[in-house]
Amino acid sequence: MRVFGRGEGGGSADGIGARTESEYEALRRRCEERLRALEAAEPLQQVHLPSLLRSEGMSRRTFLKWASATTALLFLPASFEKLVARAAAVMNRVPVIWVEYQDCAGNSEAILRADGPTIDELLLDVISLEYHETLMTPSGFQAEAQLEDALQAFRGKYILIVEGSIPTEDGFGFNGPRGESFLENLKRLSRDALAIIAVGSCASYGGIPAAYPNPTKAMGVWDIVKGKPIVNIPACPMNPANLIGVLLHYVLTGTLPELDYLLRPKFAFGYRIHDNCERRAHFDAGEYVEQWGDEGARNNFCLYKMGCKGPMTFNNCSIIRYNDGTNWPIGVGRGCIGCSEPGFWDKYAYERPMAGANIPVPGLWNLGIERSVDLLGVGLLTAAGAGIAIHAFLSAKYGKKSDEGAPGAPPKEKS
Amino acid sequence: MNGEASGTIVRVTRMPKSWRIFHWVNFLAVFAAVVTGIYIARPYYQAMIAEPAVRKFVMGWNRAIHLYAAITIDVLCVVSFYLYFLSRFERPVRKLLPTREHGREFFEVLANFFTFNRRKRFDSAELDTFNAAWFTLLHLLLLFQLFTGLQLYVYSLESGLSSVGGWWPWLMHMATDWTYWAFGGRMGVRWVHHFTMYLLLAWIAFHVYYEIWRTVYWREGDIAIAFGGEKIARRLPGTAAE
Repeated sequence: MRVFGRGEGGGSADGIGARTESEYEALRRRCEERLRALEAAEPLQQVHLPSLLRSEGMSRRTFLKWASATTALLFLPASFEKLVARAAAVMNRVPVIWVEYQDCAGNSEAILRADGPTIDELLLDVISLEYHETLMTPSGFQAEAQLEDALQAFRGKYILIVEGSIPTEDGFGFNGPRGESFLENLKRLSRDALAIIAVGSCASYGGIPAAYPNPTKAMGVWDIVKGKPIVNIPACPMNPANLIGVLLHYVLTGTLPELDYLLRPKFAFGYRIHDNCERRAHFDAGEYVEQWGDEGARNNFCLYKMGCKGPMTFNNCSIIRYNDGTNWPIGVGRGCIGCSEPGFWDKYAYERPMAGANIPVPGLWNLGIERSVDLLGVGLLTAAGAGIAIHAFLSAKYGKKSDEGAPGAPPKEKS
Repeated sequence: MNGEASGTIVRVTRMPKSWRIFHWVNFLAVFAAVVTGIYIARPYYQAMIAEPAVRKFVMGWNRAIHLYAAITIDVLCVVSFYLYFLSRFERPVRKLLPTREHGREFFEVLANFFTFNRRKRFDSAELDTFNAAWFTLLHLLLLFQLFTGLQLYVYSLESGLSSVGGWWPWLMHMATDWTYWAFGGRMGVRWVHHFTMYLLLAWIAFHVYYEIWRTVYWREGDIAIAFGGEKIARRLPGTAAE
């Protein structure tokens, strides 16, 4: 059994867990040493970050603002800002192989926003992306050859990013010109990987493909790959800032970030959405949206009764939001669907009053999740009440009150 | 047996004062936990108070009362388990030992209930095996609510902080994290916590009915036990009062 509230996973958690001045100082020395080594190394991709930023119309000030925010995201003190900025510039020394299995490509889409890329998104152009089926120009045997080259050149050094769930049922999910199954592909690529980052809920826990009845027997990476450092960055899609945070942490410290019991980086998933929600006061106050467009909705009341799963979901989207901090689900007036929690499609994702939701419980008839418990419970109480009524009726009709002269009763008292 | 004999009718003490206090405090706490728990699961009324949101705590109070009630129940649960083994008045755990005699008595109490008191072949002056098991079931259900409820509570302290120190969330994690895996995640824990409330309500319904039924059909004043602590008992022929 995993116990919550502590770092886990194969990756070392001794990086950004430092607390005291001396620990921070030690961490700073380690980071500087690592950055010097990376800066001296040959870039794997000839991308010059300042030029790239300039070409997108971003000023140095914008970049430093980003560095400041990312330093805070990683729980580091402000004195690390320069190190974070330096780390961003040497991300092209880290070889990355990105594979995509059973999914909608939503995570690739999230980092590719054609409309106004953010610095987080631009940094994914900086990393040495050796293989990405959706983005790369080669296809078929050419793509396969490129993958083989990368595997040979960076054996034991590359970070494998997995997007999409892995079907384990025979006959589902093949890629490449040789028709290799996703399952075999993952096993082969993970064998020589330094670490694996599962991006999105599908790669993390199976996601929507694993929803009931899960016809392809879809699973997450951690269900299949054992003995390798794995980081899960769930959500549907994952926030690019969190992926950059994990990669930057690796570039900066040479270790993976501290993880929670679901192998999620704590810097991103250590927060409950509910605790940082702008509508939290309405929850505590007892002010709820009862139906879409009602008075409560117009006044930005809490969406708990509309099925919001913020109280059960851990993610930092209530803090950093999506699309460069533009907005997030609750901000636009609909509840959180708990997309970063395991099994979210079956257990969390219903946008209606929770007690009235009619989403089938996997394997439990066709009752709604919240509704089923009330139906069962009220049924149980009704059965108990009926049993009591029947027993009371039969007792009144056939029962015998303990009385004088009855078996087991005492002799009549004398007055 | 603590009581006074009067021929074959004996007056027996069944609940000392402390047990009666525990009983009614437990009842009030369960009642409060049910009322507030249903609100937490599905808020069934709006605040409707003309104050800014930050100045009214309708859900906040419901949660606070729920947690206060839960802690009261939990403490009483611990006290009850202590009394099961070490009470100076009566140790119900003795009635739970799986002996042949207890098995026979359990069957006889059930037979009494289902024959509508036409058959009564056990000593109703003391705690019977069926009631001992029935009360134990209540405490096990409450203990289960303790584990699942604290799991639902502690995940909001994911930061590892609490007002009384880090040991408290740590202890709760150690004690309750098994429920997360046993019931398929937080939603599963929430489900069983909510459903167990209905089991508790059904338990209460039967308990109240059974005590009233005993009072009416046994004519031994069983319902008075929870108030005055005493009842009268009719002894079987040949059974001497202690």
